[in-house]
Amino acid sequence: MDPMKILLVDDEREFVTTLAERLELRNMKVSIAMDGESALGFVENDPPQVVVLDVMMPGLGGLEVLEKIKSLDSKIQVILLTGHGATKDGIRGMQLGAFDYLIKPIDIDELIKKLNEAVKSMV
Amino acid sequence: MDHIKRKEVAFFGRITAGITHEIKNVLAIIQESSGLMEDILDVTEDNTFPHKDKFIKSLDRIRRQIQRGIDITTRLNWFAHSPDLSPTSLDLNEIAEKMVLLAFRFARLKNVVLESSPSDPPIVITSDPVFLEMALFESIEILLKAINTGGKITLSPRKIQNRCVLGIGYENAVLPKEDLPVQISSTERWASLQETMTYLGGAAKTFGPAPEILLHLPESIDD
Repeated sequence: MDPMKILLVDDEREFVTTLAERLELRNMKVSIAMDGESALGFVENDPPQVVVLDVMMPGLGGLEVLEKIKSLDSKIQVILLTGHGATKDGIRGMQLGAFDYLIKPIDIDELIKKLNEAVKSMV
Repeated sequence: MDHIKRKEVAFFGRITAGITHEIKNVLAIIQESSGLMEDILDVTEDNTFPHKDKFIKSLDRIRRQIQRGIDITTRLNWFAHSPDLSPTSLDLNEIAEKMVLLAFRFARLKNVVLESSPSDPPIVITSDPVFLEMALFESIEILLKAINTGGKITLSPRKIQNRCVLGIGYENAVLPKEDLPVQISSTERWASLQETMTYLGGAAKTFGPAPEILLHLPESIDD
């Protein structure tokens, strides 16, 4: 079976690189982007199956990036990462087509469960 | 509350909420880094790593402290967002439960157990969250100031004669009745609590031999 193809988008470099290493240890193919513009570049040139996208980023915000991803390829699933005081962003994101949202800091097992569900929902 | 005061409270709230977000990012990085170390240990054979057990124990300690940090910043974040919601619909069970978590440390310094006893069904009122939290905290402080050490403070929302009440009661099974603090309503802090309750459209009263402060609250702050 081909490895799951993930794009992690977060402006916290150490968070996103460490999380990528953990997912790679679980045989996933992971790309990282540190801002919304680069994330959209990945989506256009090397589309992932699932994007894990932080809502609060400088420049293009997560919800804006979500809308653009969905307009580029509606099949790509997006899991949003929100803060505790920002669950309304997660709910808003789901209205805009996000698969689900998780509250940071995330539990790796929960993230993997959501990733699997997101990929299954694409079939 | 006058406009400038409200702006000040909102400003403190916004800055604090922003900082809690930053602290959570730090915790998220520590969590992922220690998680990566665990992942690597999982795929390392025991005989190639002589101190593996000590390492696992240490990582477990880090994980528990990260969770503690997350819980503390979650409470702080909730508190910092309080001024955003004024006045709003508030579940007294929820407010009591959160205040137990926020004031836990103050009670622990006097060896007092702080807990909430939820009402069934829940009581929902329209009020100012900042002032309600302040009234609850002032009540807890009054009781803590009046006692020596030990015992339990319980926050219990309930209805008395169809009116909404938040009780803050003190119990101490080992203390004789005559040693229970009964003069709580003559303190300076009591006057401050009454001032807060007046703003909320309610009143604070004392009740019973084991002292309990009863915060009488209107169903709506506008009533």
